[in-house]
Amino acid sequence: MAEAVIGPVSGNSLWYQVRAFLNAKLVHIFAGGLFTLLAIFLIYPIAAILIKSFWGDEGFTFDFYVEFFSYNFYYWSLINTLILGTSVMLMLVIVGFCFAYLTTRGPQWLRKPLKIIALLPLAAPPYIFAISLITLLGRNGFINNFFDLDLNIYSWAGVITAQCLAFLPLSFMMIENVLNSFNPSLEETASDMGASEVRIVRSITIPLAAPGLLKAALLVFVMTIAEFGNPAILGGRIPFLAPDTYLMITGEGDFNMASVLSVVLITPCILIFFLHNYVLKGKGYATITGKGMAAEPKPMALAIKIPFLIISVPVATMVLLSFGVILIGSFVKIVGVDNTFVVDHVMNTQSNIAIWNSVKVSLGAGGVGAIVGTLLAYVIMRGKFRGRQIMEMTALSGFALPGTVIGVGYIIAFNRPPFLLTGTIWIIILNCVFRFLAVGVEAGISKLHQISIEIEEASADLGADFITIFFKVVLPIMFSAFVAGFIYTFMTTMMSLSSVIFLTTPGFDLASVYIYLTAQLGELGLASATTIKMIAIVAISFGLLQFVAKKTGLDVRTKQGA
Amino acid sequence: METQKTPMLELIDIYKSFGDVEVLKGISAKIAKGELLTFVGPSGCGKTTLLRIVGGFAALDSGQVILDGEDIGKLPPNMRDTKMVFQSYALFPHMTVAKNIGFGLKLQKWPKKKIEERVGELLSLVHMDELGDRTIDRISGGQQQRVALARALAIEPKVLLLDEPLSNLDANLRVVMREEIRNIQERIGITTIFVTHDQYEAMSISDRLLVLHNGIIQQIGTPVDIYEQPANEFIAGFVGYVNFLEGKVTAIADETRTVTVFTAYGNLELNHSQFDKSEKGDEVLLVIRPETIPLSRSDGPTQQNTFNGIIESFMYAGNFVKYTIKIEDKEMIVDQYNPKDTVKFERGDQVKITVPRSTHVLPKNTAIEHV
Ligand SMILES: Nc1ncnc2c1ncn2[C@@H]1O[C@H](COP(=O)(O)OP(=O)(O)OP(=O)(O)O)[C@@H](O)[C@H]1O
Ligand SMILES: [Mg+2]
Repeated sequence: MAEAVIGPVSGNSLWYQVRAFLNAKLVHIFAGGLFTLLAIFLIYPIAAILIKSFWGDEGFTFDFYVEFFSYNFYYWSLINTLILGTSVMLMLVIVGFCFAYLTTRGPQWLRKPLKIIALLPLAAPPYIFAISLITLLGRNGFINNFFDLDLNIYSWAGVITAQCLAFLPLSFMMIENVLNSFNPSLEETASDMGASEVRIVRSITIPLAAPGLLKAALLVFVMTIAEFGNPAILGGRIPFLAPDTYLMITGEGDFNMASVLSVVLITPCILIFFLHNYVLKGKGYATITGKGMAAEPKPMALAIKIPFLIISVPVATMVLLSFGVILIGSFVKIVGVDNTFVVDHVMNTQSNIAIWNSVKVSLGAGGVGAIVGTLLAYVIMRGKFRGRQIMEMTALSGFALPGTVIGVGYIIAFNRPPFLLTGTIWIIILNCVFRFLAVGVEAGISKLHQISIEIEEASADLGADFITIFFKVVLPIMFSAFVAGFIYTFMTTMMSLSSVIFLTTPGFDLASVYIYLTAQLGELGLASATTIKMIAIVAISFGLLQFVAKKTGLDVRTKQGA
Repeated sequence: METQKTPMLELIDIYKSFGDVEVLKGISAKIAKGELLTFVGPSGCGKTTLLRIVGGFAALDSGQVILDGEDIGKLPPNMRDTKMVFQSYALFPHMTVAKNIGFGLKLQKWPKKKIEERVGELLSLVHMDELGDRTIDRISGGQQQRVALARALAIEPKVLLLDEPLSNLDANLRVVMREEIRNIQERIGITTIFVTHDQYEAMSISDRLLVLHNGIIQQIGTPVDIYEQPANEFIAGFVGYVNFLEGKVTAIADETRTVTVFTAYGNLELNHSQFDKSEKGDEVLLVIRPETIPLSRSDGPTQQNTFNGIIESFMYAGNFVKYTIKIEDKEMIVDQYNPKDTVKFERGDQVKITVPRSTHVLPKNTAIEHV
């Protein structure tokens, strides 16, 4: 009898045989399944774009690329996009540095509020700033009216401002992280030697932060060129790649050209993704050695404080003003023109239906995303097979791919058998699952890093077989990562616009698409009210996420992208 | 000896709290020119905090820091003639060794030529002549330590501050660097405060020690003072091992300059000089160092203060043997050094120990005392 308990599973019943097979092969089965999913829903759509960009009615051709580079309209769209990315990147490195310096070394009372403001845009989709800027500075804009100005927000200035505000949190978080990672005694030593604060910033802080600043800059660049909403709403007649891709499909139905535009847009993103993950990874000065204690806050030199405040305060004001104007805009007829209180915008049926649709889609994406993400993390961390790196890379790459590109890829890839999904809710859900997979996977991996493989070995030592360990030990431990992946995917799907706009069908509006369309039509009240409802839902989810993270000590990195 | 010179640095009644926690409660001390004073004490006792107050990195709540007659207590670090070597060395990772050392000189706008000269001097002072062009991540821990020291010395501060400078080094290197720091310090005669929680390190490097505990100075004195004349039970126990023996003064004989103390072992006759303030009936605590007790066979001649005991266990440490001896149901630790042909005892051997007449005596309940 003892043998039956301790020894290998014996007996001839079918169940025993199945169980023995699963014990030996479950990880491989998962791995195979996940590889297939990644291949179908991430690699195939991108490949489809690539093929479409070379494949016309008469087969293989370079014609579409030749066309791209011979028409002003097309290649200017590329040049403009690069200019936009570069200018937002430069500005945000400076602004992000000022914010991060103030929140880590500035006056104590200022640190917390400034940090909250810098992170506030995370709670809203990036295009909230397009709407608020139109409310403030559009043709009927509150500020334009009030001061009798004639500022044009449908311009370079408008797009750049909106993008800067939208991606402030990304730049801020990364730079703050870098500034926090220094050993304070480095700066203390410099000051001990007689260096002024200006001198310290110039010859110690910035050089030490340089590798981190570069990484932050590259990410801001990628996110900016990939963003669809702000340039689409504010860009007016200026061509940019992301909105042009959309127009190419909805306006002209030219899938070949849309594919070329996508390939052009994706190229810098992929380059930077590799640069970021494989070249710059681990670069930077490991400056924490020995015991470093939290430096006592000391007064900032005016020569630093004044310019930093001059840069930060207006930006912080714009952020607050934007949220304020959206809130007010939801409850009055037209901000600054007709300030009567109305609930029409908030109660609007179409808006509510769109929100409800978004919630449904996001719940679906959250559930599927969390399952796929958790399993992927497990297989990547614990599987013993070749290609794990490729698997991880593919899973994480969704984050680096511009939404418009994945959107185009999905309509090309899934509009015919064997994968006919166009027009269903599933194409939207799967699109979001695989775009936002990175965070679920990373949460899972970080959880698995925390738990020693010895727990699993100990369970095996006690006599548990693989299936028991997997379901009774591993999954319960990974539950918090699962929840984090769920909530995160839910949040990002709620706000996502750039890819789903290709995939929704008339009559099935998502909140983000509804906001975009109403903003285009100048229905700012409806756009604002829908945004506010979206923010409320996202904020609650974010609170939940923080709660889970705190409860479980999970390191949830907040990423951005919509 | 040193204390008679005019002090270079004087700390007067320094208080410091973090929130509700009072870390320093009235610290006063004088440090002579050229002296090496060590702050020593258990972890968390406030050594770093006190040092940072001297360096200007932490604000004091009240009190004064007088450097060369001037109160510098409120000045920022760069306005003080003190330079700090941090525990983590805080070397700038984006600069070479020479750039690190020359950093302060460059800030003082020295001409390039002179900076090079001075950096050269310092490199040879710390025995790193060839390594000026290396980056920080390409030199060893001990070398990083030297660079940090050279960098602090470059602008010739009046006082050098070192916060546990050796704690990131391995045991052998610690000893080497400790001697080297002491050598350099004596050679250039710089007034130095050294922080450590290692009492042996403190004993071997310092002119004087300042022992901190519970926010106050427990004792300040030379290594010999601290070891042989500890001011209280805490100090006695903090530096080295000690056998405590409680007793009561039963007789004071002025003519023979002898005091009789009754202890668990029986009566002990001790030198009078230890008991200036004692009276008959006072409770006292004898501080008996393990290496001060002669040990002999039980058949040897009987002397004053001699007691019989039995070897309970022993530990052979090479240069000495540590015996645990049971005397009248009390254990005593005795270290016997190991000249050739010393008799080695075995477990169960009958032995005689002698408590020296000059054994240090403390009044009872002296755990915390202002000095
Ligand atoms: N910035 C700070 N904020 C709050 N408490 C602090 C701060 N710095 C030190 N303390 C507290 O003050 C006390 C003394 O700290 P300090 O670093 O001076 O001790 P230390 O003697 O140097 O200890 P160690 O030997 O571990 O280095 C400790 O209890 C510590 O927790
Ligand atoms: Mg310390």
